[in-house]
Amino acid sequence: MVYTQDQEGAQITQSLQRVMDKKKGESIYHFEHFDRSAMIKELGKEKLIYLLNKMLLIRNLEVRSEAAYLQGKIGGFFHAYIGQEAIQTACVDVFGQNNWWITSYRCHALAFLTGATEKEIIAELFGKENGNAFGRGGSMHLYAERMLGGFGIVGGQIPIAIGAALSIKNLKKTDETAICFLGDGAVAQGSFHESINLAALWDLPCVIVVENNKWGMGTAVQRAIAVEPIAERFAKCYGIEGYSIDGMDILASYHSFKKIKESSLKNRRPILVEAVTERLRGHSISDPGLYRTKECLQAAIQQEPILRLKEDLIEAGMLTEEEFKELDKKAREQIIAAVQYAEASPDPNPVVLEEGVYKEE
Amino acid sequence: MEMQTVDIREAIRQALDEEMERDPTVIIIGEEVAEYNGAYKVTKGLLNKWGPDRVLDTPISENAFAGMGIGAAMTGLRPVVEFMSFNFSFVAADQIISNAAKMFYMSGGRFSVPIVFRGPNGSAAQVSCQHSHCVEALYGNLPGLIVLSPSNAYDAKGLLKTAIRNPNPFLFLENELAYGLKMEIPTGEYLIPIGQAKVVEEGTDITIVTYSRMVGICQEAIKELKKQNIKVELIDVRSIKPLDIATISKSVKKTGHCVLVEEGHSFAGICSEIGFQLNEHCFDYLDAPIERVTQKETPMPYSKILERETLPNASKVIAAVLKSLNR
Repeated sequence: MVYTQDQEGAQITQSLQRVMDKKKGESIYHFEHFDRSAMIKELGKEKLIYLLNKMLLIRNLEVRSEAAYLQGKIGGFFHAYIGQEAIQTACVDVFGQNNWWITSYRCHALAFLTGATEKEIIAELFGKENGNAFGRGGSMHLYAERMLGGFGIVGGQIPIAIGAALSIKNLKKTDETAICFLGDGAVAQGSFHESINLAALWDLPCVIVVENNKWGMGTAVQRAIAVEPIAERFAKCYGIEGYSIDGMDILASYHSFKKIKESSLKNRRPILVEAVTERLRGHSISDPGLYRTKECLQAAIQQEPILRLKEDLIEAGMLTEEEFKELDKKAREQIIAAVQYAEASPDPNPVVLEEGVYKEE
Repeated sequence: MEMQTVDIREAIRQALDEEMERDPTVIIIGEEVAEYNGAYKVTKGLLNKWGPDRVLDTPISENAFAGMGIGAAMTGLRPVVEFMSFNFSFVAADQIISNAAKMFYMSGGRFSVPIVFRGPNGSAAQVSCQHSHCVEALYGNLPGLIVLSPSNAYDAKGLLKTAIRNPNPFLFLENELAYGLKMEIPTGEYLIPIGQAKVVEEGTDITIVTYSRMVGICQEAIKELKKQNIKVELIDVRSIKPLDIATISKSVKKTGHCVLVEEGHSFAGICSEIGFQLNEHCFDYLDAPIERVTQKETPMPYSKILERETLPNASKVIAAVLKSLNR
């Protein structure tokens, strides 16, 4: 069927209306209930400021890299994690780096959180010799000691994740889990369903986190996935635990991931998670996001995770507006230093172009 | 040296068994590999011996279990993944191509993928369009993969053992019609290095280059050609990628004539590549244009008559040799 532009526009508005209605009305999600102030107390000032700082660093890394992209210093595809920071920041802190981590092409934050430095990440975005993957991977393919990538094909990372879970099971690493992130768009891929089926059949210790940021490129999730909520519905189909998480709220995310970690370590079974979020940028840097109304974007910005945590901390008397500004300024300076480092770094030497296709024995 | 007579099926089974003995991280993954003992009985008895943690029956889910094997290979295991037919690997092409082949380079050398994908390749007996394709030209086009295609039990065992120990992703192409081919091989352990072609028969008049089941077809042709006093040098490529062009070109420089034989299609096939490399290495030594005998450019038909017509056979090879020699 070929739509005219008007028809297409009307269809998009319609599906957006469904999202908005659901937001206003009763939520389709069953988020875990938790006591906000008890959570703040439990985590304590030091940990909360640490988490806020991580999110600020990710935000600044994305914003500064976008700027460098627009100056032509970064090429290729570029998918920012802006708006989704709470999810991976909470998840990595709860589980700890010492697990197998896997994600899609929207991978800058996960690489940073699992141990890649901002310098090596930005140097990789600049395609430099000392980049995270020596300038061979770029924005979509970042790594850390325990992070397997950065995968460029939608859904292609999910079988890899259950393979890591198979290793964990066979090598009897009873305190490790394979944690895989993907977008809502990947739920339509066969690899998603095949992998969960296999993981459920074989009791593979993995956590599959669907970051539902509402958009598979320009296609609203309601136009791509037949049922929702994603995790609650599909987990039932495959006989595994499913959780919905408010991914715009790091306290809620932290609370849920703690529960998920406990279950994972105890049951050693796959768990399906839907982190409900909304990216605040286009799919990639070249996407102006014309499919999203200003109101809709504005509504998402209202729930933005960094400001939300900031407000929580101010309310709890753990942070002042000035301290927040100082924190953001320091994060910005740290990232700017990394950008300068990347700019000053050498390009790869073409002499080594053909090296490293195969591993030497 | 103590010897044993085994068929290719048993040689592969021994290779798997010995490597599982040697390295506890070697596991077998695939459809019907465990309880059914393998669709072609290659993995017979391995479940009993090594248990369900190391010999894993999968659902019909090639994309997931191929990718799972790759993920496991990146994180400490050494999986051997069986495709019941390499035609089913197309379902898993994204995993093989985008993940296995590219991972080591893409990650700046951080993650290697020590995995072997193995199973029957090419045509069998009237299995028609979707079960008969030769995959080596498709996968040979991908930097990062190693593609082996043995023609006999000795090579099958030695090459597979080497492949399992190697830190890179392999496609190990077998042939359903050849599983029963018997041969005397050493009882003790041996390995065969990757990237070495083998001169199967020596000759001075013309070089025939081929691999896998076509080696037998060419030997049939050579028997006939001997009667006409034509001395053929036969080269079994064994390792398609990396290709041992040195051995091939050395022979062509000696004979000045060359026929390339490939079960798969001609367009952008393995023969196209070997032919071009010979052009680079042996142009001044060739006394006639290089000839090739390949499958015709159609999907594999079901009819026995049509199947026979489209595949290379001894008489087509003989015709190509005579044409090259202008006889």
